[in-house]
Amino acid sequence: MKLRLKWLFLAILVMSLLTFSHSYGQNKFKLKPGAQGQLCLNCHDTFKEKLKNPFVHTPVKTGDCTGCHNPHTSSHGKLLAENPNKICVKCHEGIVPQNPKSVHPVVMEGNCVKCHDPHASKYKFVLLKPGNELCLDCHKSIGDAVAKARFKHAPVDKGCVSCHDPHGSAKERYLLKNELVSLCVSCHRTDQPSFSKQHMNYPVAKSNCSSCHDAHGSNRAGILFDNVHPPVANKVCTQCHEAPTSPDALKTKRTGFELCRGCHSRMMNDVFSKNRIHWPLVDQKGCLNCHKPHASPQKNLLRGDMNSLCGKCHIDTLESQKKLAEKEKQENAAAKGRVVKGILTHSPIQQGGCDACHSSHASDSDFLLKQPSVIKLCESCHDWSKHTNHPMGEKVIDPRNKNVTTQCLSCHISHGSGYRYLIPFPTVTDLCNQCHKQYRR
Amino acid sequence: MKRVEMRFAQVSVMKNRKGDHKLSFFLKVFIVALLAFPLTSFSAETVKFNYLQSVYFDEKGGGLKQPEGVACNEKSLLVVGDTGNDRLVRYTFQDKILRGGSDIHMPQLSSPIRVQVNSKGEIFALDGKKRHIVRLTPEGVFKSYVDPVGVPSPSAFVPKSFRIDRSDNIYILDIFTARVLVLDPDGKYQRQIPFPKDYGFISDLSVDSKGTVLLIDCVKAMVFSATKESNSFSPLTKSLREYLSFPTSVTESRGIIYIVDQDGGGIVILGADGAFMGRQLSKGWNEGLLYFPSQICVSEKGEVFIADRGNSRIQIFTLVK
Repeated sequence: MKLRLKWLFLAILVMSLLTFSHSYGQNKFKLKPGAQGQLCLNCHDTFKEKLKNPFVHTPVKTGDCTGCHNPHTSSHGKLLAENPNKICVKCHEGIVPQNPKSVHPVVMEGNCVKCHDPHASKYKFVLLKPGNELCLDCHKSIGDAVAKARFKHAPVDKGCVSCHDPHGSAKERYLLKNELVSLCVSCHRTDQPSFSKQHMNYPVAKSNCSSCHDAHGSNRAGILFDNVHPPVANKVCTQCHEAPTSPDALKTKRTGFELCRGCHSRMMNDVFSKNRIHWPLVDQKGCLNCHKPHASPQKNLLRGDMNSLCGKCHIDTLESQKKLAEKEKQENAAAKGRVVKGILTHSPIQQGGCDACHSSHASDSDFLLKQPSVIKLCESCHDWSKHTNHPMGEKVIDPRNKNVTTQCLSCHISHGSGYRYLIPFPTVTDLCNQCHKQYRR
Repeated sequence: MKRVEMRFAQVSVMKNRKGDHKLSFFLKVFIVALLAFPLTSFSAETVKFNYLQSVYFDEKGGGLKQPEGVACNEKSLLVVGDTGNDRLVRYTFQDKILRGGSDIHMPQLSSPIRVQVNSKGEIFALDGKKRHIVRLTPEGVFKSYVDPVGVPSPSAFVPKSFRIDRSDNIYILDIFTARVLVLDPDGKYQRQIPFPKDYGFISDLSVDSKGTVLLIDCVKAMVFSATKESNSFSPLTKSLREYLSFPTSVTESRGIIYIVDQDGGGIVILGADGAFMGRQLSKGWNEGLLYFPSQICVSEKGEVFIADRGNSRIQIFTLVK
């Protein structure tokens, strides 16, 4: 009997504690009965109009303004009760799946208000804009491509969320709702004869669809990427692959550059006649390090724009370029309209034009430069004679090194140095004093 | 009472003796540890480069042009792969004095980008243009191409670099089939080690005195290693990106690994276990500075030869502990 009483007492205690904490949580500001929300609207009366929207955020609907705001004081703007980048996650905890393969950067930043209105909206999920309009506000280039595409992919018009999860994906890159192939075959039946026929009877049901097809639509039938490798366009897959009836049908007939050499022999012969080669061209992947074998949105079937493509291996160069661009932006902003002389970044690199100076396959010059003479190379863009009359050329020995002659790179670092005018020293005086030591102070 | 006292005294003496024994044991361990400390700290001590001199010309006064290869041995031989001039240049460097500078020019070799010397003084050079390795006599006369015999399929290979160990075995970095080919001194196939999984781009290899093969990945900025008995590579280091920009060459000498940072113009030093021990030299044009360096050779005597490609010279340093 005593034991039962003890249990009863304990249960009552727990219940009362729970009730207290719940009621405290509900009304931690000890508002008068019926005062919740309504009290706020007494002053914030413009809000009444907003609340007429069909989609209202639940705490707003229940009048729980204090769910997000502190009515008295706050360390955050709009009297928010928490850091604005973290406040939404307090309730919407599982919005990003565990161990995601991709997360929308705005979600990662906690910048939920970029897509959602925290109070109310005309659109479902309290979104700021309807459907694709919202996504294409940021993803403009995709929007432009979709609008111009002659051959549309129906799910794109239905909405980006047909294929993408706007918050994050546990299964695939690019916020795809499922693994790429599974996603495609959920609409496209691969067991149909037409599928086999279109793919020349090759067993591609489990292959990467996006190696040929542009899921956002394109100007080519079958929504193939705009630039198609001629053997693919002409449906002569056997030019590179084993016969479709072969047990290893998807295997290529040769590996590396040897496969491509069959058709691109002139280019290859030219490459192999040069003194210096871009080594990835002759490694196991060969041409496929930079080029896609079937189709690509980029010219020359490149795997991406040159900046990201070259930057994939030359990470140090890409990172320093990003830092320099940021530094330049900050310094120019700090100047508040005052003209800041000299540049920190070399524009061809910023614009992804590595091939303005370098030959991507091979060259007779060091660093795969397009011209043996650095002076002539720079001259193709810069009329340096207007900029300096400093002696330069094959007959002018660099005072720092008796085995080197002076040229543009004697004073400038073409990839940027962190100093204005791309010089390797903080001031022009420091630079000049390297050679003209008699003027050193 | 006395008995009790005596008994107590005996027990306490025994306890003290036991304690003494324990104390002496710990004391011994402590002393051994104390003595061993300087040894271990010495082995982990980094090295510094002391600038000695630069090599600009051959014996006839012809300037070096963007040299990418350099090899040295304990017999004071110094061979330079003068890449821009399509030739080798042969010097000796003894007692801090550079002699010779004879030109080795031959139709079988252009653009030498890596150079090695074996125990017999034979010179090996990798032709960057034709992508094959040539073997020369110690006098610099063409002997043969290194054509691996008995390589299992695929037999095609593209050498990006190569090394010769103390027993004159030849290690070829074959980027076409993503493997290291190990050949005996006559070029007969011994074994192959596939590149590690998920590598970026392997730019060079080295072999230490124990036969451990080292690879440097210029994209991932990592060193991989495979012991003499192993048939696979495993990471020796994590990404070294915070210490270097674009590593293109690696060598090992006396338990220390030297990595050439081409873009950063410096040498990164690692312990045999891959621990970062320091960085030497920096980017520039003046003597003692590097501008897009290529190969490095560290001799048994502690002399360091660096192919300072961008400055068209070879720089010589001594190691200082």
